[in-house]
Amino acid sequence: MGTSRNVERRTILKVAGASAAVAGLGATTACGGDGGSGDGTVTLRYAWWGGEPRTIAIKKTIALFEKKYPKIKIKPEFTDYEAFWEKFQTQASGGNPPDVFQNAVGFLRKYDKRGVLLDLKAQADAGNLDLDNFRNGVLANGQVDGKQIAIPVGANTMALVIDVKAFEKAGVEAKFGWTWDEYFDALQTIQDKLKIAGDTGYFNIMYLYDLYLRQNGKAFFTDTDLGFTEDDLTQWWEDGYKRVRSGLVADPKKIEQVKPKSGLSAGLAASEFTWDNFSIRYEGEGESDYGLAPIPTTDGKDTGQYLGSLMLSAFSGTKHPKEVAQFISFMVHDPEVGKIMGYDRGILATTEQYDAFKPTDANNKGVAAYEEEVAKAGVLGKITPHPSGADVVEAAFLRIGGEVAQGKTKPADAAKKLFSEAKAAFAG
Amino acid sequence: MTLVKEAPVRPAGKRSAAPAAGRRGRRRENLAGYLFMSPWIAGFLLLTAGPMIASLYYAFTSYNLFTPPQWVGLDNFTTMFQDPRWQKSVEVTLKYVVVATPLKLLLALGVALLLAQKRRGQGLYRAAFYMPSLIGASVSVGFVWRALFSDDAVVDRTQKIFGLDVGGWIGNPDYIIYALVALSIWQFGAPMVIFLAGLKQVPQELYEAAEVDGAGPLRRFWNITLPMISPVLFFNVLLESIHAFQVFGSAYVVSDTRCGPADATLVYTCYLYQKGFKEAQMGFASAMAWTLVIAVALVTAVLFWSQKKWVHYEEAAK
Repeated sequence: MGTSRNVERRTILKVAGASAAVAGLGATTACGGDGGSGDGTVTLRYAWWGGEPRTIAIKKTIALFEKKYPKIKIKPEFTDYEAFWEKFQTQASGGNPPDVFQNAVGFLRKYDKRGVLLDLKAQADAGNLDLDNFRNGVLANGQVDGKQIAIPVGANTMALVIDVKAFEKAGVEAKFGWTWDEYFDALQTIQDKLKIAGDTGYFNIMYLYDLYLRQNGKAFFTDTDLGFTEDDLTQWWEDGYKRVRSGLVADPKKIEQVKPKSGLSAGLAASEFTWDNFSIRYEGEGESDYGLAPIPTTDGKDTGQYLGSLMLSAFSGTKHPKEVAQFISFMVHDPEVGKIMGYDRGILATTEQYDAFKPTDANNKGVAAYEEEVAKAGVLGKITPHPSGADVVEAAFLRIGGEVAQGKTKPADAAKKLFSEAKAAFAG
Repeated sequence: MTLVKEAPVRPAGKRSAAPAAGRRGRRRENLAGYLFMSPWIAGFLLLTAGPMIASLYYAFTSYNLFTPPQWVGLDNFTTMFQDPRWQKSVEVTLKYVVVATPLKLLLALGVALLLAQKRRGQGLYRAAFYMPSLIGASVSVGFVWRALFSDDAVVDRTQKIFGLDVGGWIGNPDYIIYALVALSIWQFGAPMVIFLAGLKQVPQELYEAAEVDGAGPLRRFWNITLPMISPVLFFNVLLESIHAFQVFGSAYVVSDTRCGPADATLVYTCYLYQKGFKEAQMGFASAMAWTLVIAVALVTAVLFWSQKKWVHYEEAAK
């Protein structure tokens, strides 16, 4: 009896084990769905990075799209910037990136080279995607080697965000065409009168250094390489470090402490160079009033500015290129979407959306006024190329610049370091 | 093995009568055993052994995740040894291991000695001291640590009372590593529990005899407690140093994912992560991983070799 009971128990367990294994198999096949279903409904994955306000707004636009295209369902995926690209890299290498995703100029060539990005021209030719009515030639931002691999959703340009109250109290004025010398004099006045630093650390911002180089007839990148010399960079970082030590630029230790808050909204300094649409975030973070001021120049005229963009790209291996194109077209052209998104991703890129959204709050109005002013000044140039590996170079620039600011690396050694890391990044 | 030998299910007479049937029965039993183990074996092969072998191969290739890996021989290792950031990461990690491990064990032993004495509410104290080990690895604690050690936060203000005005530790490349050390020491619960178990094993007669001979508490600790718990101490030293070599989460969170400022918290695994997942140099990252495995194996070997000199096993004494 005892033996037979044992056998029985074993048989039962075997069956249980086998069914568990089958259940496991079932689970794996369930994961391998391709987003299509029997009734012709198509599901697209849409991924972006950004804060909570952006996510709330984008979800509203998705609902709007699904209402107009009931046969297409959108599955959202979102994280912050850093996590987004780490995740994307892994997904893309596994052949499973989202169908549609937010993109930026630093990543275009990198993922084009790896064959991840869909050339949307064919879809435009087929009438699924409208490439008309983009403002200020910004559509070109998404083109690489004659291919349209990204569609801009917004356009922005670098600006100097200032603590308006601090600038007023110190009696300094930020005016169009001012020179770098005038800017640094203003920082000195702010320091003398208010006993705070003037700037949060300008010399670590790759995009600002790009403007400075462009003012001097160079650029940060060429198609495949860096567009400046080690000596250029040594000089730039030496000047920067000098200003940290004299207190014109905020103490990098303190800037590091307040992260992820910005040094400007934390009240550590009176101004900060950044993209103009970022200014909207400072109002929520900080206690002062923040405004946009012009980029200082070398010759009193040329700011080196251009319109950068956040864009939408599609995966080259998507099973539903037509629906993807329809979705992108809707997202960049539909006036309602423009009204919902506002200037969160920069000034709206198409005339339909630009005309539909009339900013009512001071911040969005400020951004609009700033861009209009910049456009009127006629200083806008074309975007500089970003070779594959540009994202790694930007991270290295920020990190090595931070070492200089902390006094841990001498500017000349730091420049050498950046050049050697850039070489590796371009090769990768 | 002993389980099979002692299995009493089969009547003794039957075994000699039908050895073939018994063998078949044993085979079936083994088969059932393997069947039950199969989820684990499959998991081990798919999730541990497979990736390890793959990474060993990648360590000798240039692999950016997208294009197929290309064999480069020892290139990854030679560039790695010449890479100043890699050297920096080794330096930071060694500093962390050498400072954090002994301090943590000292504290764990100290508290274990206190908690080994019988007193009211003993269980509560033990639970309270063990608690940080349960939550210490979480990301939220990393954020709490960031807040504690920031400029003008609790630690900074306390320092100022004692006239030490260095500002917060977080933004300062010279101090931030000690914030990580503090976080490690704070989680002394696990080694403490092991020390407690060891202390319970020390025979009371030894203390009584020593007391009769006039040995004071220090002498008793040095001549009885320490040698008697040395196997446990050895175990803790081994485990904690291996852990310390692999520190990642706290460094990543406290430095706000940058392993900085100025690479001051660029521990080995942090750099490995950056290389692999940010810069997509999987070959290089794999080479780093295997170098770490070898380094930890060497450290373990040295510790095992050294135990002859200071670890006291009771069997040997008998």
